[in-house]
Amino acid sequence: MTENDKIQILKDILFAEDSDYIEKIAHRLENLESTLNDRQKFSTKVDPIILHQLEEFKTSIPSTLGPTITAALKTEIKKNKDEVVEAMFPILGKMIKKYIAHEIKLLSEKINKQLSFKDRMKSWFGNSTKKQEIIDELAASHIEQVLLIEKDSGLLKASYSVTQTIDEEMISGMLTAIKSFVEDAFGQKNQNLELIDYELYHIHLQSFNRFYIAVILSGNYTTKAKDKLQDLIFDFFEKFTKKDDYHVLDSDSINKQLAQNFGHAHL
Amino acid sequence: MHISKKIVVLGHFGVGKTSLIRRFVENSFSDNYKVSIGVHIVKKEVELSEEDTVSLILWDLEGTDDISRIRDSYLLGTHGLIYVFDVSRPSTFQTINDDLKKLEKRVKGVPVKVVGNKTDLILLDELKTVLDGKEISYDYLTSAKTGEKVNDLFEQLAKMLALDAEKI
Ligand SMILES: Nc1nc2c(ncn2[C@@H]2O[C@H](COP(=O)(O)OP(=O)(O)O)[C@@H](O)[C@H]2O)c(=O)[nH]1
Ligand SMILES: [Mg+2]
Repeated sequence: MTENDKIQILKDILFAEDSDYIEKIAHRLENLESTLNDRQKFSTKVDPIILHQLEEFKTSIPSTLGPTITAALKTEIKKNKDEVVEAMFPILGKMIKKYIAHEIKLLSEKINKQLSFKDRMKSWFGNSTKKQEIIDELAASHIEQVLLIEKDSGLLKASYSVTQTIDEEMISGMLTAIKSFVEDAFGQKNQNLELIDYELYHIHLQSFNRFYIAVILSGNYTTKAKDKLQDLIFDFFEKFTKKDDYHVLDSDSINKQLAQNFGHAHL
Repeated sequence: MHISKKIVVLGHFGVGKTSLIRRFVENSFSDNYKVSIGVHIVKKEVELSEEDTVSLILWDLEGTDDISRIRDSYLLGTHGLIYVFDVSRPSTFQTINDDLKKLEKRVKGVPVKVVGNKTDLILLDELKTVLDGKEISYDYLTSAKTGEKVNDLFEQLAKMLALDAEKI
């Protein structure tokens, strides 16, 4: 027996069982390889594990990483207050706007309900005037402000207002700029911008030759209210232009005329 | 007597129109660079005497490097124009004489004040040589940053418009 033969025998004795074993391992490796190569097979095995890890991650992150992130954010915000405010502004603005729009919608739905309710009331109680008044009040539009504005320059000629709000001369300029912008943008000559909805207000614009009148209204601006308002405006304008020197009249006397005309009006 | 006057403020983008107005109206200067949109309207009352005041309704137009693109309707009925350029950027006064001619055709008979702004950024003597060389005449050299000549510009314009109004 040579040295080599001896070693072979020794190997056979030592690894007898292993040759089986190695075959088994090889087979398993093959399996594993095919599983790995086959995405489908692989993911059925691995997905549950990943999901489990993720779940754990989710529940543990607030307690582990959370404080660190919060602290980092806090110092970052402190350092860059202006930038943060700047970034938040449009977002908050949009949220508030959305909220207001929603509230207005609810309000107008409420008003509409009141309106049909009004009809029902009428048939039940005959004409109960007190209740009728309350309901009318709820649905009415109110004139808040009337501005007589020079068409070209946008300068305020005269005004009437229930409550003094923002600077009227500045509103007149802004309205004129918006009006000409919109009218230019949509091209057609002799087309006038008639209505601007601004937050809770409606701004009715009535154009004449050298002037236009802007009426700022609150409440529910219905077609009926618009009819009445236009009558009022035309009424005023007729009286106003009757005098030959109307375009050089001083503001005080026109203010009085406006108050007379619009002051006690119900739409 | 109280009168109101419309003033249109125009000029290339970034020359300092909004800053000049802000300096005059609120007497403050902000280094925040905010791009103005379209047109912004600001009012300032100028007291000429105890009984005479003028409201200046200032139309701060969005900067456009092409004067012909300014809407006619924004220029309508204006009582005065302020043309602003940036003394530190020649591109904002390169075409000024042409621009002024075109503008005068569009707003006949309206007084125009030409203003070189941002004088804090350059040496005045050098600037004057440059402007003379290009035959550019100006009415005021201002700095919205330091406030130099800003009140003079608006107040003298107000005074002039009030005098014009009296003549009529
Ligand atoms: N140094 C200096 N900077 C100015 C002056 N006026 C305006 N600026 C700056 O120039 C930039 C444009 O100003 P802005 O008023 O928005 O220009 P507009 O586009 O003509 O309205 C801003 O960064 C201002 O802070 C000035 O007189 N001096
Ligand atoms: Mg600006």
